[in-house]
This record gives sequence, C-alpha cells and structure tokens, in this order.
Amino acid sequence: MPKCTIDGKQIEVAAGTTVIQAAELLGIHIPHFCWHPDLPVDGNCRMCLVEIEKMPKLQIACNTQVTDGMVVQTESPKAAEAHRTTLEFLLVNHPIDCPVCDQAGECYLQDNYMAHGLHESKVELEDKVRKRKVVDLGPIMLDAERCVLCSRCLRFEKEVTGTNSFEFVNRGDNTQISTFENRPITHEYAGNLADVCPVGALLSHDFRFKMRVWFLKSHESVCPGCSTGCNLFVDERDGEVQRLRPRRNPDVNKSWLCDPGRALYHAIGSQTRVTGARVKGAVWEGVSLADAAQRVAAALKEAAGASAFLASPQASNEDLFAFRALAEAAGGRLDFRVGSPEARLRERLDNVLQRADRNPNTQGCLDLGLGRDGVGAILAACAAGQLKALVLQGPELLRVPEAADALAKVPLVVVMATHEGPELERASVVLPAAVWAEAEGTFTNYQRRVQRFRGAVPPPGDARARWELAAAVLEAFGRPLGATSARELFVRVAAAHADYAGLDYRALAGSGRVLPGAGSGVAGSAQEARA
Amino acid sequence: MASATAMAIAPEVLARPAVRLLQEALGERLRAASDFRGDLAITVDRRAWVDAVRLLRDHPELAFEMFLDLCAADYLDVEGRPERFEVVLHLYSVSKKHHLRLKTPVPESDPRLATISHLFKGANWFEREAWDLYGVVFEGHPNLSRLLTHDAFVGHPLRKDYPQGQRHVLKSPKQMLLNVPAGSEHLLVNIGPSHPAMHGTFRVQALLDGETIVDGEAELGYMHRNFEKMAENRTYWQVIPYTDRLNYCSSFMNGHGWALAVEKLLGVPAPPRAEAVRVILSEFSRIMDHIVCIATNVVDLGAITPFFVMFRAREAVYDLLEACCGARLTVSYVRIGGLAQDVPEDFAARCQQALASCREAWQAGHELLTRNIIFCKRFRDVGVLSREDALSWGWAGSCLRGSGVAYDVRKDHPYSGYEQYDFDVPVGTLGDCYDRYLVRMEEISQSLRIVEQALAKLPGGPVITDDKRVALPPKAEVYSNIEALMNHFKLVYEGILPPPGEVYGYTEAANGELGYYIVSDGSKNPWRVKVRPPCYNNYQAFPQMIKGAMLADAVAIIGGLNVIAGELDR
Amino acid sequence: MAVSVVVVDRNLRPGVGPILKGFWVTFKNFVESAFLGKAATIQYPEQKRQVSSRYRGIHILTQREDGTPKCVACYMCATVCPAECIYIEAGERPEKTIEKYPTRFEIDLLRCVYCGFCVDACPEEAIIMSGENNLVGTSREELLIDRDRLMARSELVEHEAGYRPVDHDVRRPVRIAALERLRDEHGIVPGMPQGSGARRQR
Repeated sequence: MPKCTIDGKQIEVAAGTTVIQAAELLGIHIPHFCWHPDLPVDGNCRMCLVEIEKMPKLQIACNTQVTDGMVVQTESPKAAEAHRTTLEFLLVNHPIDCPVCDQAGECYLQDNYMAHGLHESKVELEDKVRKRKVVDLGPIMLDAERCVLCSRCLRFEKEVTGTNSFEFVNRGDNTQISTFENRPITHEYAGNLADVCPVGALLSHDFRFKMRVWFLKSHESVCPGCSTGCNLFVDERDGEVQRLRPRRNPDVNKSWLCDPGRALYHAIGSQTRVTGARVKGAVWEGVSLADAAQRVAAALKEAAGASAFLASPQASNEDLFAFRALAEAAGGRLDFRVGSPEARLRERLDNVLQRADRNPNTQGCLDLGLGRDGVGAILAACAAGQLKALVLQGPELLRVPEAADALAKVPLVVVMATHEGPELERASVVLPAAVWAEAEGTFTNYQRRVQRFRGAVPPPGDARARWELAAAVLEAFGRPLGATSARELFVRVAAAHADYAGLDYRALAGSGRVLPGAGSGVAGSAQEARA
Repeated sequence: MASATAMAIAPEVLARPAVRLLQEALGERLRAASDFRGDLAITVDRRAWVDAVRLLRDHPELAFEMFLDLCAADYLDVEGRPERFEVVLHLYSVSKKHHLRLKTPVPESDPRLATISHLFKGANWFEREAWDLYGVVFEGHPNLSRLLTHDAFVGHPLRKDYPQGQRHVLKSPKQMLLNVPAGSEHLLVNIGPSHPAMHGTFRVQALLDGETIVDGEAELGYMHRNFEKMAENRTYWQVIPYTDRLNYCSSFMNGHGWALAVEKLLGVPAPPRAEAVRVILSEFSRIMDHIVCIATNVVDLGAITPFFVMFRAREAVYDLLEACCGARLTVSYVRIGGLAQDVPEDFAARCQQALASCREAWQAGHELLTRNIIFCKRFRDVGVLSREDALSWGWAGSCLRGSGVAYDVRKDHPYSGYEQYDFDVPVGTLGDCYDRYLVRMEEISQSLRIVEQALAKLPGGPVITDDKRVALPPKAEVYSNIEALMNHFKLVYEGILPPPGEVYGYTEAANGELGYYIVSDGSKNPWRVKVRPPCYNNYQAFPQMIKGAMLADAVAIIGGLNVIAGELDR
Repeated sequence: MAVSVVVVDRNLRPGVGPILKGFWVTFKNFVESAFLGKAATIQYPEQKRQVSSRYRGIHILTQREDGTPKCVACYMCATVCPAECIYIEAGERPEKTIEKYPTRFEIDLLRCVYCGFCVDACPEEAIIMSGENNLVGTSREELLIDRDRLMARSELVEHEAGYRPVDHDVRRPVRIAALERLRDEHGIVPGMPQGSGARRQR
C-alpha cells in the first residue's frame, strides 16, 4: 500500500487511489470542478493542479495515482498560481448572474474564488460570449452561459442512467452543453443533474427561486420511498421543508437520489395532513389524543384477545417494536403483509436506484417478526365477525377494495394515518401520525442495513410518531411501554433480536450498519449496492 | 479554538515574566500559555485560580493592580475541550503597562470556582453576571444573585443551548434590595428606576437616616438586551449596528472599538485615511459624551443653563456625523477594515464649524461652572475615591484619572495613529467629583487639539482595506464583472471568516477603556463576544461611595460617573 | 514616547461671578430668541431639518426604465439585515436577461434600524434610502410597507433620495418614481434650493 505525504501530512492508501482521493481522506480539500467521486475521471477543468516533487510540471490530482514516497504540495506558490489562472479562464465568459442564480451558496466558482482566486477581472462585460439562457428541459433548467464545460452531466448521463442526453456542441469559446433539439430530460434521475452541476448551469425546476440555500438547515435522514433507503438531507427553514438532496453513501445510493424520492417532501407540509385524533359516532368527532387512546385501550380490553394488529412497513423499527408490544398486551393477532411487500423487497425497477417495494422498512418488519399470523387469516377472521377491534399502523388495508366488506364487520377499526383520504372513512378511530421527516428512528433497507433518520421539522398539531401513539394506548391499557425516546426503543430492539444486538444507536448515524449473518428474511449483498 | 488542555508552551512565551513566575509558583497547574496577536493568555487549573490572581496582583515584577474584566464562555460540544465552561479574567498593570488574560476551565458537572472579589473589588458584579448568564457558581461570593436578568428569569441565557428567542416575563419587580434590620427607624427609598437623575434606567435602594444614606444597593438590567447573545448569531459586519446601541451618547466610538478588535483578530489594518477620520470622529464623540455627562449632571443639581448652551455643540457634531454617514445617533459608519464610505467634500469645513461650536460650549461651561460657588460647594470633596480603590474596582477613563492615575489607552497603547498627535492627559489629585469634572473639561480641550492636528494631517487614499476577504468591492466593479460580484455575494451571505483564536481589543472610549473580548472559531459568527463596559466598573463602586453621604450628594456623584444604561446593561 | 500629564488645577477661588454670568447668558438668549429670531429651535412641522444626501431614511425601491422594479429578488438585503425585517418572495420574469423579480417585497419599518446595510448589500442599486424620516401610522400593519408602496412613495414630495451607492450602473440606470413625481407634479428638482420656507436654511 503506497504511502504519500500531502501538505506535510502522511497517509497510507490502497493502490490505485488518486491524489485527490488521498487528500480527501486527510481532510485536505483540493479545488476541482470536473472530478466527482462517483463519476469516471475526465481531467478537463485543470483546477486540481498540484505540485508533486520530482515532477517538473504540475499534475492534476484527480488522475494521478499515489505512488510510494510521493510528496505533494497542494498550495505551493506554483500550484496557487495555477488555481488562480485556471479560475480566471473559467470566469472569462461567465455571466454576472449571481443575483438570479439559485446556485449561490453552493457554487464551486464562488467558493473557489474566495479560497483560490481573489483576482481582478480583465474582461469587459460586453466582450463575453453570449449563449442560451433559461432553456426548459423539464425537471431541470439549463443556462448555457454559466456552464464551465466540466462534463459532469454528460458523464452522469453516460454512466449512471445510460441515457446520453447531453453533448457539447459548437467549438472554441462558443462550446455549449445541450440536449438534442433542447428536448427535456425524461428519466427519473434528473434531479441529480442539478446536484452534479458545480455551477448554476443546470438547476432544479422545482426549487427554482424558492429559497436561498444559506437560510436552510440540513438534517441527515433516509428516504422512505422504497426499500433501497437512499441517504439524504432534509433542508428546511423555520420548520418548513424546502427540498431533499442526496447524502453520499457509497454502499447504498452513492451520490444519487431518484426524482420520485425528491418529490416526497411535498407531502410533509401538505394541507391534507391529519392533525388531530377523531372518533366516528353519528358524525366524526374531534378528540384529544389522550381521549382517543383511552377509548382504544378500553375497546381492546373489552375485546379480550378478539383483536388484530396490522403493522405497516412504512413504520420505523422503533414504531414496530412499540406496536408489537401493544399487540402482545392485547393478545391479538399480528401481521403486516398487506399486498405482499416482502415479495418485491429486492426487485429492482431500474438499474439505478429504485426498487419495487415502495416501503422503507419491510426488512425491519421481517426482522422483528411481525409477519406472524398471516393477513389472509386476519381478514377471514374479520369476515367471520370474530374480531371486535382492528388496529392498523397505516392505511394500507383501507385502500384494498376487496377488504371493505370484511372491515365493515369489525366494530372498531383504528388507523394511524398521516394524510387525509377517502379510505379513512372505513375506519372508526383516526390517530394522527407524524411522517418520517418529523420523527427519528431507524429503517432497515433491502441490504439489511440499519440506517438512522432524524427529525427535521416539528409535526403539525397533535400528530406524533407512531411509537408515541402506541405508547399512549399502552399507557391507557395499563401496560406502559417504559421508553420515552426512539433511542431507548432501539436499545430494546437490539436487546430482543440477536442480529441487532451489536448495534449502537449513535454509531448508526452516517452510513448505517449492515446486519451480520443470515436471519429471517432476505439478506442483501454488496453487489446489490452498486447503482 | 485554543484548547485548555495542556500543550507545549513556546519558549519565547515561557520567557515572559508572568508565565515564568506563574510556572514557578504553580508548576503543573499552569496548563497553557500563548501569545496570539500580541495578547498574552495563560490558562491555569481552577484549583490554582486564587493563588494565580494573587500572585499576578502582588508580585512586584508583575503588579497587575487594575482589574479590567471577568467573564465566562461556553464551549459546549467543542472538540478538544473536556470542560464545558471557561472563566476568563483580564488584568492590567498601570505601572508596567501590560495586559494579561488569565483563563481557567470549569467543568459542567461541577461548575464552581473560587471568588476573587476579595482580591479585586470590581470582580463582584462580574462574577454575579457570569453566574447569571452562565450558571458558574463562585464560591465565597458575598451575594451571588441575578444581576442583569430579572428574578422571574429561568435558565442561563448565554449558554449555547439556551434558545435565542426565549423570553420570560416579570410580573412583579423585586421589592426589597436591602436587608433592613427589624425595628429600624430609617427610611427606605427607591432612587429610580424612573427618576430623571438616574440617567437611563437604574435603581438604587437607599436606607436613610434623615438625609444621610446609611446603606445602599443597586439594581441593574432594566436595559439588558443581551448584546453578547445577539453577537453570537450575527456576522462581524452585522454586529456593528448593535455596537452603536451600547454607549449611545458617543456611538461612533463603540463601532471604532469593535472594528479595531476585529481587525486585530484578522491581522488586517485599516488604511491611514480611515484611521485619521476615525480619530476625528471619535474625538468629537468624546466631546459629545463629556458634554452630556457634565451638563446633565448639573441639571440634576438645578443648573439648567449650561445644559442649554453646551448641547448646541452636540447638534453641530450630529450634523457632521449625519453628513458623513446619514445618521445622527446610531451611525454604523465604521466597517471592518475602514469606513463605509469616504467623508463628504466639505468635511474639513464642517469640522471647523463643529470645532467652533465645541469651543463655544467649552467656554460657556467653563465660565458658568468652574468657579461657581454653588457648584464648588456641591462638587468639592464629594464622592472621593482613592487611587487604590479605583484600580481595585477597575475604574478607567476620566474617573480613574480624576483619582490621580494617568492611564489613557491613547497614550500608553496608541491605536489608529494617536501617536502622531500631541495632546496631554489630565489627572486629578483628590478623586472627588470636582476633579472628575475638571478632568473632563480638560479632556474636551485636548480633544479639540487632537481634531485640529488630525484635520491638518489628514492623508489621502482609500478609506477601506483592499483585502478582498474583508471589504466589499466597489459597486462599479460589482455591476460590471463576475469576480467582484461573487466576492460581494460571499461577503454578504458568508461574511468575514477570521482565523480561530481570541483577542482583546481595547480603546479609550469616553467613559474609559472599552474592551471587546472576541473568541473566533473560524466561522462567520463570533463564538463569544464580551464587552468590557467602562461605566459598569465605574458604577459598581457607587453603592459603596454613597454610604455616609447625603442623598443630594448621591445625585451629584452618579452624574459624574457617566453611567449610560446601554453600555451598563448591554 | 513622553507622556505629557497635566494635573488639573482645583485650587481656583470660587465666587458668585459665574452665577451672575449665568443670568446674563439666559437674558441674552432670551433676547436673541424672542426678538432677534436666533433661536436654535426648528419649528416643526412648518420647518423641517435639512438632511444630507446621505441620510438614511425610509427606503425606496427603484425602477427600470419601463417602470418595473429593478430588484431581482436576490435576497442580499434580507440576508444582511441585522434586524431581519425584510421579507421577499421571488417570481419568474419572461425576459431571459432578467429572469427574476420580487412578487413580494416587504419591510417591517418598525423593526428596521435604518442602518443602510441593505443598500450596501444590493448588487443592483434596487433599494436605496430617502431623506424621509416621517414614520407615522395608526396601526402596526400600516407600517409594514410592501413592494408597490416602496416603489411609489407618494409621500416623498418634500424629501430627496438619501443614502445610495456612490457608483451608479451606467448600463442599467435606475429610475426613482418618487423623484420623477416631484419633478413632474411639483417642479422640484432635488439639489436645487427650495422656496417658501419649507426647509430651514443653515
């Protein structure tokens, strides 16, 4: 394994590591535009030039492999001069768009100018080459003047989605990035084009002019859209989520996020959120949470075992643990497999990220043993009139038209719901649930990787995390849960399940941990992770 | 940020007398010492705190007689700092003319530190404030109770985990400040807070025996807005309007002090023209402040005429400031690295007008007051404070000089080019109200001298540094090229990013040494800002000074201390 | 450098001379104010204080030549404002060289501290300040000024433009509607001396 010295710091790296990667490991940031950790190297921007001993000319750090004994200076006078002049060239035709460009605040040109530029301009505004602006490519907008020709978008289209939408047209200083006939991007990974673009040439249409990024606070979380469990950041300001953007995890989603996943943020602050508990009498009656919990607990006690519990693979491991505790306290039947999500757990929808199972925690349900009594059996019991109470952790069953008759025979149907919908009419008690961005907990993805998500914004009204709702009912039932935080619940999960035993809640932050060994359910492999 | 854990002390720092002597006395309990931007900072173990302070004060080679400032800082979740809090003491030696910063880490699990209020009288209120705002308990303190926040306040607001917008409402004020012995026949009165003689809002509860004050206790915090908490959530540029609202009678000087402190932290000086204009406007502000002090002081005694005639000079200075920056009172004229914009073309003429007006005001004040028999009888031999007491309380400025200590930051540690100008430092002999009045009057004359010289020598050139990481680019550039536009954007939304470290920047403000202790973690917001408010130290001595004096004398004394609530309470 | 210290002379003989001088000063001022018209008082509101062309008064949003706001909703002013009193929402403009404009631009004039940082931060000379300080309203809502009022500023008859950048963008000049109204309707050109004692001459 070659050892090298960068800016006086030593490091030993795997063979094949480039200087820029080795510098990242040391915490040294070498300025760059075209290099991206998850795209093939191009070496066209010439920004990452560094001085390497025994090499007379400066070398690009992104495409120079570390050799044993290599000594690198990233900011020697020669290298600093190179950074400055490279930046100057890149800025020659750059338009004065900062006030109207959304990239401000996360723009490589701005950041590199302050750190490596600080030069005076030598170009008159009138002499700059004009190119196409405000080109609507569907989910993203193109402004060709701002482009620095780094080809990241081109390489993304070639290597990741395989759609090859972009190409350089014209020559010399008239070179522009373009799609064929300005056709819009039609695949479901367009948002990543705005992310990889280091400047404001490609920008998200959804986020256009919404908010300046320096007002946003980022929270680490995990996407609940499917069983892949891509890592992301929830960016919010003053309790309102403004966008989702990918968080790099080389083993799960690299630096990518699908567009349907990005769009999930709209649902968080939606007007159709369930914000209070309600009970159906002659008409729906709004009640306090404590009141609703009382009624549910009373009904379960009365049912004396003639009850059933359907968990939801949308729920976190902590939610599931609390729900199972409720099922055991009530002595009722327990399952989660409405629509058989476990059958599609590892089935891919495309060759990038998405999976057919549109739930984040089917694996968690399997691991925690919630697939116990069978959904079919439970429905049969409903149809036969054997059940007095049915508690649903999510509205999945309410959306199945075939189950409507069976449900009508159950006197009390309790549902934990996040959003309003016509299906809630089939329930008799609605408990307001918080969505993933409003609570914290863990999901286990298709690889059996346990990943933590954190709350970013407060839930509306009386909405609470599902485990808190279950805890309220348990409290009223007389069998308190004995845990007051998601962390405490995770500790109980780890204690109750051998596979989860070695996991530390704090250590799960970042990129999560894959569960060891085989267990119930399907184990994922590292090959599955490659997007 | 500099960590409090043991680190190797550089040899040149080890050679400094304070470090050498402390190491000899404390050995292992001396944890660290460093010199950053010329500030000597020493960290000691908290069990050695009192010994270290006593050594610094009493050892003849060190002689740190003057107490400057004591504060705490919260380093919650900062890497390399096992203890959450740090108590920071600033001392000065008038005889040796050097400053020192002494620090000690205090853990969250046991947030206690021995008091030094028996070593320095001035430490009393500062320790109370550190307890109030941070929750550090000073053992042995005679009265560790809330000072700046009110009694219904919950929590310690300057802690990092205390939310910025959190408020607590006080429904009923504290009735009793003093312990009145049972069966006492003395009269208990509240002087203030809504009394015209209490300039600003402060309250003193006095126990009277006839006209004589037997005991007194002060209550502050009516104007406490927690400037220091605001500063932690603003960029260095955004703090400037907040500094205007400290001593609002001479607001330019606060901004001047802040800009100099940040420039010291950055290592980026302002150009000579900017410094000269700062000197001119600061001296005019000093004159304005002294006029307020003198004129309102005598209004309380019944002499209204000097107020009317002297305040005209303030109008002239206000007009000058308004012509320069567009505002009269809260000027926000300084920028880090210089000034917001150059002075107007008729600046020299306007200054001459202002000078003439100030001379008239001085003349009028002098003729009406200095030999006025009523004035002399009210002011002479009233409110005497000895030299030693003044230093122990941490007095500075005109009050300290009135007690005979010739310490003026402009002479002893010149900044902004003060070394180029000829001026004298007036001192008194007795330390009574009359001496303080005479010193202020003489300072007005000296300020006029300085302004004349600075005007005559006013250099040309830019008024803001050309360091692109600090100063906004000129607008003509911002409109016409991308580099300047990006520079502008980064400076606005990110701001100045100083290196990690801490400095104590100090100037001679109108009331005395105005200090800013700034701790930077390298980010755009300061980690900690502590204002060393000169009138806070001055006013702290007041309850002691009025014991045995008559009520009317108390009024005469307090005016002479020039307590401005904005600076006192921050 | 030599420290020159002077000890103040406290051994002056006090007398009643200054008291008599005080009577004289008062009498002199009385005569000057009552009969000679030399009072320092400005009779507000018939007379108003004359302010400089750098005065930091209530804000103005400037316009382009076609009357649309110059502002491109870049949020610089909202970011730098120490009082957090500016609220902006951005919208799309069809012109590809402009792209952005403020659909909402509101300043809470009661929160504002009139520091002028918004003017310093604006990269388009879109927001400047006027010489007006007449902040009067009968409700808090009235003093939350919105974009259209900021551009129109019909109250600006007697006051000029105040604090604004020294350099102007010659390629994209700004119009100040309020100043144009001054000129068109009242014949007042800022900078020229006014008639009728509307201002106090100094």
